[in-house]
Amino acid sequence: MERATLVDETCSVRSNEQVGPNLFLIEIEAPRIASVLLPGQFVHVKVPGMESHLLRRPFSVYRTDASSNVLSILYQVVGFGTDVLSHLLPATSLCASGPIGSHWELPDGSASPLLVGGGVGAAPLYLFAQELSNSGVGATVVIGAQTKEALVTLGAYEDLPGISVVAATDDGTFGYAGFCTEPARTFVEDGADFVACCGPEMLMRIVAEMAARAGVPCAVSMERRMACGVGACLSCVVDTADGKKRCCIDGPIFDAREVVWQ
Amino acid sequence: MSDVSMSVNLGGLSMKNPVTVASGTFAAGREYSDFFDVSLLGAVTTKGVSLKGWEGNDSPRIAETASGMLNSIGLQNPGVAALREKDLAWLARKDVPVIVNVSGHSIQEYVEVIEALEEDDRVNAYEVNISCPNVDEGGMTFGTHVPSVEAVVSSCRTATKRPLIVKLSPNVTDIAEIARAAESAGADAISLINTLLGMAIDARTRKPQLARVVGGLSGPAVKPVALRMVWQVHQAVSVPVLGMGGISTGIDAAEFMLAGATAVAVGTASFSNPRAAAEVVEGLRAYCKEQGVSDVNDLIGALQC
Ligand SMILES: Cc1cc2nc3c(=O)[nH]c(=O)nc-3n(C[C@H](O)[C@H](O)[C@H](O)COP(=O)(O)OP(=O)(O)OC[C@H]3O[C@@H](n4cnc5c(N)ncnc54)[C@H](O)[C@@H]3O)c2cc1C
Ligand SMILES: Cc1cc2nc3c(=O)[nH]c(=O)nc-3n(C[C@H](O)[C@H](O)[C@H](O)COP(=O)(O)O)c2cc1C
Ligand code: FES
Repeated sequence: MERATLVDETCSVRSNEQVGPNLFLIEIEAPRIASVLLPGQFVHVKVPGMESHLLRRPFSVYRTDASSNVLSILYQVVGFGTDVLSHLLPATSLCASGPIGSHWELPDGSASPLLVGGGVGAAPLYLFAQELSNSGVGATVVIGAQTKEALVTLGAYEDLPGISVVAATDDGTFGYAGFCTEPARTFVEDGADFVACCGPEMLMRIVAEMAARAGVPCAVSMERRMACGVGACLSCVVDTADGKKRCCIDGPIFDAREVVWQ
Repeated sequence: MSDVSMSVNLGGLSMKNPVTVASGTFAAGREYSDFFDVSLLGAVTTKGVSLKGWEGNDSPRIAETASGMLNSIGLQNPGVAALREKDLAWLARKDVPVIVNVSGHSIQEYVEVIEALEEDDRVNAYEVNISCPNVDEGGMTFGTHVPSVEAVVSSCRTATKRPLIVKLSPNVTDIAEIARAAESAGADAISLINTLLGMAIDARTRKPQLARVVGGLSGPAVKPVALRMVWQVHQAVSVPVLGMGGISTGIDAAEFMLAGATAVAVGTASFSNPRAAAEVVEGLRAYCKEQGVSDVNDLIGALQC
């Protein structure tokens, strides 16, 4: 498929709120990006108010609303940029480039996909689940978080027809008690014919190995530090069986079988 | 006021305006072509290319620092054949001169890269990188001693009739001495600065932020160093200077020209603003208009001390 033209869009913050422990949801009016973005693609955001921090920050998109031209990002505050981001007020303007990178895609013939999201990694799988819900294929979604309060995407997944959701919490305050890899294992070994996974690299690695053992194709969403975010600088390379590839535009979604884990 | 004359001549390379991009920050331009037409630039400078291609360094390869960034890409490139097949083919359809940035692990390799391109009429000039801080052999080690500068530059000189730009490292005690060595060995122009060797540490984990530990600093943080070096080199040599280091606006570009640069390159700025290079062209034109400068060449070395 021809990739959509990249745009650097001047956007406006519609809302920006804390939704869980250290978790924030920002809604951005970005009609040109929101209308063409595919599941799993990301935007490269110039966070205003931190001009001595030169680099943009990459974020996968959680939801888009084509009718209102809004895209939303679920993010965790982990450092300076995400802290500044969490203080942006509605109507603040910011620049975002997008839509960037490869996207989640159901392999031909797949009928029972499994989506596994850990932590904030649950968000970038939502648009894919929505697509699978709309197309009637459906999916099983396994999401994990540290605590019940951090399972902020659960309700959104549960609202999707044809999607069955299993939640896990590390502390056992909701759903399966333990890491989401365990419920995921049951589905991988029991009939899933495609796995999409997003989350900490360790989680993706475990899920990828499970899928490989079961002979099931698996796609993962990789994270690397990025400078240009458009494929020009080679900052973000991922080691693959086929040499070094750019996370930003050859990824972020990679076939797990080609990733050489660090 | 009538239009500003923006064209310059960089050691035999005619540019419709003084603005190019800094090697390694713009690939060959295709990745930025959704944001602006690269034909608006005075030239496109491609990512450093070696003979057979290099893998580059391990990740993480970058770290953000105050008003700058460190990189240790390590000159990852697919080799000169791939440059010709993909990048030069794409650039040939654009109305813009091409400066190929050349790297090598040995003098022989620099020469062989140039030889592989010398008959290719899609190349307009070479920028010989003797200043990369991110590779173990070659790179910066060539650019920090007068005898090796002379040896690389004179060998490249015999291999080409095209404008030969030599890119210097700021990681030296006396930049003027190195520039003079490059000039006397046959350089048609001097470009500077490449990145300043630096490092960043994560105190919490007690680990370096880059896999290679050290890397090259670029961005606004290096601009005062770059300006000083452009000014010193302009006074030391008679060949033109291609200035770079932290340029992100037309005013920055004007400052480099006042310090003695004939042309300028926009690097790290493209990462935060993908239209930066095009905006520098427009900003420089606007500055000239504002200042009543009808020919951009009048800015070169016009600093009043
Ligand atoms: C393709 C992609 C999609 C992402 N999607 C999301 C998302 O949906 N939600 C979310 O919360 N986070 C996401 N991240 C991670 C997010 O980009 C980082 O948490 C953020 O850049 C941290 O910035 P900071 O200034 O707070 O941290 P600092 O540590 O102060 O940042 C310093 C530098 O390191 C980089 N950096 C730090 N952590 C990461 C990381 N984990 N991955 C890549 N670069 C990093 C920053 O971009 C910056 O250049 C994504 C990363 C990538 C590459
Ligand atoms: C990611 C990155 C890659 C670079 N790659 C090269 C290269 O291949 N060859 C080269 O001569 N310089 C390379 N440089 C140096 C730049 O061309 C330039 O000299 C330097 O970054 C200073 O300019 P700036 O502050 O505008 O970026 C690179 C710089 C960066 C940030
Ligand atoms: S961030 Fe520059 S190539 Fe990926």
